Amino acid sequence: MKRLQRDAVILSLIENLRAKGSWCGETHIQKATYFVQELLRVPLEFEFVLYKHGPYSFDLSDELTAMRADALLKLQPQLYPYGPSFIHGRGSKLIKKRYPKTLKKYNPMVKFIANKLGDKGVTELERLATALYVTREIETDNSIEARAQCIHKLKPHVSLDEARDAVNVLDNFIEESQDI
Amino acid sequence: MAKHMHEIRDPLHVFIRLDSNERKVLKTRPFQRLRHIHQLGLTYLLYPGATHRRFEHSLGVMELAGRVYDTVTDPSNISHESVKNVVPAHNSYEHPYWRRVLRMAALCHDIGHLPFSHSAEDLLPDGWDHERLTLEIIRSDELEPIWKEIKIQSDDVAKLAVGPKKYKDSAFTDWEAILSEIIVGDAFGVDRMDYLIRDSHHVGVAYGKFDHYRLIDTMRILPKEEGGSAEPALGIEEGGLHSAEALVLARYFMYTQVYYHHVRRIYDIHLRDFLKKWFPGGYLPIDVEEHLKMTDNEISVDLFKAARHEEHPGHDSARRIIDREHFKLWYQRNPNDIQKNPEAGKLIFDAARKKFGEANMRFDTYKQKGSGLNFPILIDGRISSSLAMSEVLKTVPIVAVDYVFINPDYRKEAEKWLKEEREKIITKKEVEKI
Repeated sequence: MKRLQRDAVILSLIENLRAKGSWCGETHIQKATYFVQELLRVPLEFEFVLYKHGPYSFDLSDELTAMRADALLKLQPQLYPYGPSFIHGRGSKLIKKRYPKTLKKYNPMVKFIANKLGDKGVTELERLATALYVTREIETDNSIEARAQCIHKLKPHVSLDEARDAVNVLDNFIEESQDI
Repeated sequence: MAKHMHEIRDPLHVFIRLDSNERKVLKTRPFQRLRHIHQLGLTYLLYPGATHRRFEHSLGVMELAGRVYDTVTDPSNISHESVKNVVPAHNSYEHPYWRRVLRMAALCHDIGHLPFSHSAEDLLPDGWDHERLTLEIIRSDELEPIWKEIKIQSDDVAKLAVGPKKYKDSAFTDWEAILSEIIVGDAFGVDRMDYLIRDSHHVGVAYGKFDHYRLIDTMRILPKEEGGSAEPALGIEEGGLHSAEALVLARYFMYTQVYYHHVRRIYDIHLRDFLKKWFPGGYLPIDVEEHLKMTDNEISVDLFKAARHEEHPGHDSARRIIDREHFKLWYQRNPNDIQKNPEAGKLIFDAARKKFGEANMRFDTYKQKGSGLNFPILIDGRISSSLAMSEVLKTVPIVAVDYVFINPDYRKEAEKWLKEEREKIITKKEVEKI
């Protein structure tokens, strides 16, 4: 996918997340993009590592900054004490108009993830995305308990009970995503 | 009696103190090589004072990393329970161990730099960059015996030296993530702190200066409480906000006024063109031994020779540097064109090189990485986002450049041509492929 084509998909994801009530800070976009790419195989080609609040892509972080430079996105400050939201910039319409076929093709994937994650806060997104990372990237016997233990080990501030819940929710997502 | 602490004079930090173990690393061939790598490549052709080297910058980064570690791990500066669980206790073995690892990582973080620093980075084979060379050198036969002797793990040093963006072998724990943030972090990395102040000092501009004493004194490890997550991150106390704002502005001004000054950039491009011809196959070696043999000195000698001998394959590029006959800036990114097409610069370059020939046009593009604007800040016992608290941080522009350079012989003709063709080029409809 070309850079601006990929930006069109990110813009669509942000639009759909906001429609579902997401605050759309960087963490929300990072985790939703991770799901779109890794669970639903949209070829965005961002490299994710386990870092801030779970899987994190430095490339995506750079791309969000680049999109601000190109006026495709802008930061909207939030009330104390929260961080800013990303909203569409004045150049976003042009890019969406430029890639109608791309947006149509990936619309079901973007909508599915926005529906599932749009109402979630940073804490929940961190657990769910880490659960997906552990399921996909780390060798375990794939049982709920083994994956929960692994999440707790990687992110000690996530309790074992919270990790088990996250794995259960994730497994439901994976099952539902088969129909997309 | 043998001396265990040593001092080195530094124009910025006055004394840089290091212990005998750190001096062992300093004395190695890979580290001494940094005495011969200019921190800012060929910038001295534009700003004559910019002749400082990676050697003193690396020492400065080690000094600042130690200062930050001492501040953020001071028990009186840790107020949150979740942070207490992450930071090793003062009386534990881990506390001095990680201080030593952090300072060593800071000392070695640039050890893989290529001649003339960033200018030649594009000439490494795919998948290679100076950070990967840094990892190779830290784990090399030259340094491994030192790590063994002083009982620290080379992988711990390597991990913190390049950070999670470049270290792919294993995930970072919360503690390792904070330590690497101290060195290479986007907001308060001491690598950036030192290079902004040091480059500013040597270049002779005031843009890069900010109150780093105050900033370091107010740095804290804080849970980034947005949305309720207890994950810790590097932040500041309220009193450091203005120093943090000054750092972000310093970065903006240094990038626009010094690092991405168009004349500096075209010298880098001519140097890269020269090196492409200089190295066999057009690629820089990735073997550690070969890498260590290369400094700015060897290349400078050949650059002068090539500039004087027309038959040398790198003659034209060398002559443009030595005789200061560089290509001229012909087009640069501007808001009007970007609004019509964010890729206007690249499209104009592509069209121009078809018209005036590949050899007569050069393109340079850069967009700021990360942003470093959103970090936790402790105010009245509450933690909030820096962007909720600072009007300055909300308005700092993003650094972005697109430069098209041209052989001066074609400049006039090209200016006339661009006037006629500009709209057509940047508004051309793209065929969408999926």
